[in-house]
Amino acid sequence: MSDATTSSAAAKTPKVRFSPQRVWTMAMATVTQLIRMKILAFLVLFCLLAVGAGFAFSVINPEQQLSLLKSVTLGALQIFSIVIGVVSTALLLPKDLEDRTLYTILSKPVPRFDYLLGKLIGVLMLIGGGLIVMDAVLSLILWMRQSLLFDEAVEHLRMEKMDSTEAVTQVREIVAKQGLTWNLHWAVWAIFLKATVVTTVALLLSSIASSTLFTIVIAFCVTIIGHGEALIREFFFTPNLSGMTGRAAALLLAAICPDLAQFDIVDSVVNGEIVPWAAVLNMTSIAAIYMTVCLFITHLVFAEKEL
Amino acid sequence: MKHKLQALAVLLLYGVVKLPLEQHVTRDLRAHGMLQEPIRLGVGEDLGQAGIAASLGGLRGLAACIFQLRAHVEFTYVNWAKVDSLYKLVTRLQPRNSRYWEEAAWHMAYNAASYYLYNQELKPALRGQLYHDHVKRGVAILEEGLRFLPRNPRLWEKLAEIHAKRTYQFKDAGDAYWHSFQNGGLNYTERFAAYAYAQSNDHGSWQKGYAILKRLYDAKNATPGLIEFLKLLEEHLHIPAAQRIPEAAPVRQMPPPEEGPLR
Repeated sequence: MSDATTSSAAAKTPKVRFSPQRVWTMAMATVTQLIRMKILAFLVLFCLLAVGAGFAFSVINPEQQLSLLKSVTLGALQIFSIVIGVVSTALLLPKDLEDRTLYTILSKPVPRFDYLLGKLIGVLMLIGGGLIVMDAVLSLILWMRQSLLFDEAVEHLRMEKMDSTEAVTQVREIVAKQGLTWNLHWAVWAIFLKATVVTTVALLLSSIASSTLFTIVIAFCVTIIGHGEALIREFFFTPNLSGMTGRAAALLLAAICPDLAQFDIVDSVVNGEIVPWAAVLNMTSIAAIYMTVCLFITHLVFAEKEL
Repeated sequence: MKHKLQALAVLLLYGVVKLPLEQHVTRDLRAHGMLQEPIRLGVGEDLGQAGIAASLGGLRGLAACIFQLRAHVEFTYVNWAKVDSLYKLVTRLQPRNSRYWEEAAWHMAYNAASYYLYNQELKPALRGQLYHDHVKRGVAILEEGLRFLPRNPRLWEKLAEIHAKRTYQFKDAGDAYWHSFQNGGLNYTERFAAYAYAQSNDHGSWQKGYAILKRLYDAKNATPGLIEFLKLLEEHLHIPAAQRIPEAAPVRQMPPPEEGPLR
């Protein structure tokens, strides 16, 4: 009698559908949770670094100064986004378990997938917001520095009596190439895409692991290997380079890790290369594929996890 | 358990399927000049652990900047060996950035070479030897840079300047200025190529220089320097009087180029 009642109740329980509104609520709650962890203090540190890098090293020529400013700040952005992505994702699930928030949420009609997606979007919103603010600060400083350096360089040419139209045009071209362009924003977009992939991998690891430290360490290992995945892949695709065992190991490693070097366009942007739309599309598509598959695997693991 | 096995199967299947896709995207991005080729690590090159980690970690640019600043500090201490080795790391990390090749060559061919040339504490023969060695090192750096960036007009121009002002290899200087002009260098590089050819000892180079200067002269782009070198080349090439330019500017007797210190 009791079994029959249970199965009939289960049969009558309506299936909870995916709800974007619920995911959004979860995401906003995650953002609030992360802000309370004082993660955004890094932003202040970054702004100070950008201002410092922008006005230091005045002994170097204008081109070097602008290039240095871009290299230092874009490097800091990469570190910021990856560290925040890995650490915050690794902290979220264990913290929810510890605070028992997870039980409260999942005891309500909230599918586990909505919970996972909400958490991921929350972390990505925080990283994206931070990157937008830092991009704006960097653009402002770069624009100011560019104008100042151009005036200084022209003044110097005038003093040396070498201010021919051709020379001034060349200085203008050099400063404009190293100064503020749309390519800088594409570099920030590539940094965001890389952080997205790393964060999704960290979420997958977090759903498997039982400790925060394990998630952080393995996520950083995957990040480092991911930057060399192209080398491993080429090793696998090059015949006669090693025996079967070596190739099998290379295949396994390349299959598990995403290729993060595909998002490394920062160096080219610092060198003044123009980012074509095809490159942006390629990077965005591959990041979307990584993210979708990783999230699906995370869902499969998390759906069965005993909490 | 069932879901975990499914997850493993999806991970492996996706892993195998993604490899050709990644290969294709990487090739495309390299073709667009967005991604650099994997770093070349020569045997015995002193690329530190930090550099390797950075080259894999997508922070090559940042590491190159840090090494460049360290090189600048060593430059202020006139520690030329250290400057050279640090710039070697910088150019390995960022081989497609012409600025680094330019600076590395400038430090060696001008700063280090002059430092040794005017160093009164050294014996004259040693001063000359060190001067020539460092100028040669500057040329070697630019030539290596040009293997990565063969169409960079600035690197060609810098190479030409070293040949014209330091090694006095005017034929090589002319060729380098000419390459610079051919690859989009500023207009004066064409004239400078001809001036360098005019100062060489090679008959073929004189003809090349004459052709350039005559064309510029006929296009009404004559400057006082151009006329002077054109007159010089007319003399060298024994151009018939009827074909010479009408300007009767006296041909200045140019002093023979300085030989530089003895080895």
